[in-house]
Amino acid sequence: MLVTAPLAEFCALMIDEIYGELPSRIYASLLMRGRSTIQQLAGDTGMNARQLRHGLALLLQHNLLYYHLDTGSPQCFYEANVEHAYNLTRTGKILEMVEESFGPAAKDVMQTIILTGQARVGDLVDAYQKRIDRVNRAMEALKAEDPFGNGADSHELNGDTPPETKSEKKPDLLISSTAQLKSIICRLVDAELLDAVHKTTYESPEDLLAMFEAEILATYPGKEVKGNKAKAEYKDRVAEALRKDRSGSKSLKRKLEQNGLSAKRRKLFDGAASASGTPDGELDLGVDPNQVICINYEKCLVDLRNRRLMQFSADIIGTTTSWVYGSLLKLLSKDVSRCRDDPIIDHYEKDDERPVPVVVTTAQILDTIKTGLDLSVGLGKVDALKISTAAAEKITAQAPRKKFFIDVQAEVEGDATSDEEEEEEDVKPIMDLDYRPATNGVNGVNGTHVTSGANGVNGTSSKVKVEPRERRVDRRTQLRHHLLLLSESTQGFIRHCGVDEWTVDFEPLMRALRQVELDSAIENTAGREGIRLVRMLRAKGKLDEKAIVGICLMRKADMLKKLAEMQKAGFVQTQEVPREAKADVKKSFFLWYFDPEMALERVLDVAYKTMIHSLQVLDMLREENQVVLSLVKRTDVKGQEEGKLPKFYIDKYAQFLKHERMLLAQIHRVDDLVAVLRDY
Amino acid sequence: MAAIKSEGELAKLTIIKDELYETMKEHGSEEREFSQADIKALNVIPNNDTATLLKVIQALTDEKLLVGFALPGGEIRWRWRGREDARKYTSLPDEATMLVYGIIDSAGQDGVWVRHIKARANIQDATFKACIKVLETKGYITSMTNVEMPNRKMYIRADLKPSERATGGPWFTDGELDEAFIKAIEGIIFEYIKTRSAYMSRGTSVPQKLPRKGVVTGEVARGVKRTATDISHDDATPVPPTTKGVPPPRKKEMFLPMPAGYKKYPTVNEITEFIHMQKVSSAMLGVADIQALVDVLVFDGLIEPIAVNSRKGYRVVRPTKQDTLSYAKRKQEQEAHPELGEPELGPPPVSSAVTEAPCGKCPVFELCQEGGPVAPSTCVYFQEWLGLEEPAVLSGTVPP
Ligand code: SF4
Repeated sequence: MLVTAPLAEFCALMIDEIYGELPSRIYASLLMRGRSTIQQLAGDTGMNARQLRHGLALLLQHNLLYYHLDTGSPQCFYEANVEHAYNLTRTGKILEMVEESFGPAAKDVMQTIILTGQARVGDLVDAYQKRIDRVNRAMEALKAEDPFGNGADSHELNGDTPPETKSEKKPDLLISSTAQLKSIICRLVDAELLDAVHKTTYESPEDLLAMFEAEILATYPGKEVKGNKAKAEYKDRVAEALRKDRSGSKSLKRKLEQNGLSAKRRKLFDGAASASGTPDGELDLGVDPNQVICINYEKCLVDLRNRRLMQFSADIIGTTTSWVYGSLLKLLSKDVSRCRDDPIIDHYEKDDERPVPVVVTTAQILDTIKTGLDLSVGLGKVDALKISTAAAEKITAQAPRKKFFIDVQAEVEGDATSDEEEEEEDVKPIMDLDYRPATNGVNGVNGTHVTSGANGVNGTSSKVKVEPRERRVDRRTQLRHHLLLLSESTQGFIRHCGVDEWTVDFEPLMRALRQVELDSAIENTAGREGIRLVRMLRAKGKLDEKAIVGICLMRKADMLKKLAEMQKAGFVQTQEVPREAKADVKKSFFLWYFDPEMALERVLDVAYKTMIHSLQVLDMLREENQVVLSLVKRTDVKGQEEGKLPKFYIDKYAQFLKHERMLLAQIHRVDDLVAVLRDY
Repeated sequence: MAAIKSEGELAKLTIIKDELYETMKEHGSEEREFSQADIKALNVIPNNDTATLLKVIQALTDEKLLVGFALPGGEIRWRWRGREDARKYTSLPDEATMLVYGIIDSAGQDGVWVRHIKARANIQDATFKACIKVLETKGYITSMTNVEMPNRKMYIRADLKPSERATGGPWFTDGELDEAFIKAIEGIIFEYIKTRSAYMSRGTSVPQKLPRKGVVTGEVARGVKRTATDISHDDATPVPPTTKGVPPPRKKEMFLPMPAGYKKYPTVNEITEFIHMQKVSSAMLGVADIQALVDVLVFDGLIEPIAVNSRKGYRVVRPTKQDTLSYAKRKQEQEAHPELGEPELGPPPVSSAVTEAPCGKCPVFELCQEGGPVAPSTCVYFQEWLGLEEPAVLSGTVPP
């Protein structure tokens, strides 16, 4: 990740927001100075050793630092881990995602782990056990007495709930037994959302690379790699060593797999997160209580990306299709550990060593689609004769090689099947995508609607209206219609890579999504005419004014104004072309072009700054409402604001909360954009 | 003696001259270039006498019936000119005017820029103005504009129509881009593509989004600018309905995508034909003109090209987001209620996170910094965005 100034500032602010000023100052200094020793930090920040140690420990606990100790050196170097610091923004989203896929109990566990940064499994179990005991005791007390005096919070989140409901809620604790806790941990480990902390977790990627390079270099004679072949081999060996190290964090998952537990567990707990009463002993096998675990952001991002892609397909195609897509992505990404390959680690000299892309089959998808989802909707209903099966079912075995973009001049790569030939093979009514009408006779309105009979071999049965029940197409076929639609899309949502086999080429697809995000940022800034010019330049390359005016159907003055405006905003660039050998600005002419990288940098920059500003505004609001905020924090007021504070304060507090929510929600929205542009 | 001889010769010359002129006309159009050899080969000049030939040609040139011009190598060629046109020349008062007219004439449909005329004729500004005045009053020339260089003052022969390059094609009227016309045709094309590339569903049961657990929503009054929270919930991942919780089907008109392999996405030829049948314009709109407009719609992100087998058609993007009211209807509505604003083709653009917040559109974005002249903590745009037009009043007394 390229660490630009605004990104660094945002990370420091985020740490300030969550962990306070002291760690934030240390962190900011590390970002500014690069890797430092504790002495250097003392000099830069002016803090004393105690403060520094405290701050560093806190940062380390939350995985916000790398450190490196050279063998034999007394000094330890600290370095900022920008990725994790930035990921703090995503906590809310990750928790939401976990809740959606694994249930509220898993979310609770995940939240606890995120709050502590990293945790020993044993400690987690103890903590939860304590909590359970406490509730049990309270329950007993409750039975014996009137509900009163429930000072202890069972659960970090419910600060605002009035006491009455709180005590009523207590009985259904999210986690009711340590066995349940362990099983949840196992499931999260199995999904790769939790990782083991291992010995190189705290090495920065650069240190790690240097370490392995040195190690491998030492095995070469004279510590030198000579010749192209040897160099290639060297590169491969380094990559392999790094891969092996990376998989170190997966040791937990492997252990689970060896114990054969993960499959069993999946069976036991599928869909029923609150399942209790599973024999304790059986579940203990998997997790070593001394194991330290932390959250695996890389995999979380994969799951978040799936959600984003689902939204994308819902926007482009429709909701029903997007649910189908969601199921497919979920299946597919079981074996996808990260969004982007690392150029060094995921480097393979030979193509055949490269891991093959994951493929899912229609049957697999059918097995996972929610039964409540009506697949018959969401698609147009068309006479089978108007459909070319050959085109729809086209199989593309190879991933697209060349650069993928949506080009106006997209050449029609012709298999020159004439329409006549097709008519014949298309006669079978594969596309009777019918709708069960919502009310009787609705379909009748549509006079042009032609359906082929369910058994129809040719077009003769068209114009015959069949009862809705009989026209039902089986679910598998309906599912395939959605899949085929996805694979026909110009965005390249999926690739039909074999008969009933589907895969996703993430790279070109994400490129398409990035383009959509960029375009929408540009369109919302420069309007439809602005985006028209940008897309034109993207499709046609560098153009001079005359050429542009010839295509864009805009008044020349308007066009020039728009271009200048966008150049100022950093969306389009110009290149000066002198007419003569001796450059003279007055005589040169200018070519306009669109540089996606530069535009992307620009939007990212605006995004970071927007987030910074939002946090700063939030700070300002806190300052302004300080009186109210300090009041609601008082222990004798907390939880009973309504009774103890005058209305004026209540209103102010409510307003502040609303604003806080708006600002944080906006930061989340901007982060969605950042994720697409930078991480997915 | 000499006079008689020359008189006889003159008569003879006149005959030869007329004959040569007619013969040349027979041998080709006004565009044809005759070399000296070509003319000799016409066998009009007795004995192919070069001196006579030159005299005849001179005479014809004087009468403006022949136009001589030099090729780059120095060789001279001639074209004939119609008598009507020639008379225009001869009716002109002086050489300079003729020269100017000649330059404008030879520019043909493209017309010629005033500066070029002056440079080529090499005459005084005053003379030039006089010439132009004569020519204009006689109705021989008229001024024109070229869309490519709208600032240049240009002249063209009055009886010629400016070339397509100069007028910019059917999308221009009087050298100005006819935006209203373009908009109208764009609207028709877009509607045509929309209704033919997406399926209009009337009353299907659309699965509804279920309210999700744990979502905090503030009570926001209707009509108020939507908050970021609302927006972020809008596109939250849809949750498939479970069997129990399926809401009653809702009847709603909407467009749906066509199934994969649909073969009837409209092509540019079909669109052109449709436009012709609509008889919307007296101007001839060719396939190339329509293609230009379709390309613009593609660049605008409203439609996309889609190839099914070897047929290249166009389809609307984001069909489910399209307005089921046609553009024409919306236009009518707008006329009735002007406050609605000019209807746009297609759905509104996808909202972008950076432009939702004030900073994305902020005029002083570059200057803004905590401690700078403009700072987030004093930002008026954010105040407005949060619904606090004025800075919040600071609280007064502390409660007991
Ligand atoms: S002045 Fe306000 S809107 Fe503009 S950049 Fe600063 S904080 Fe953002």
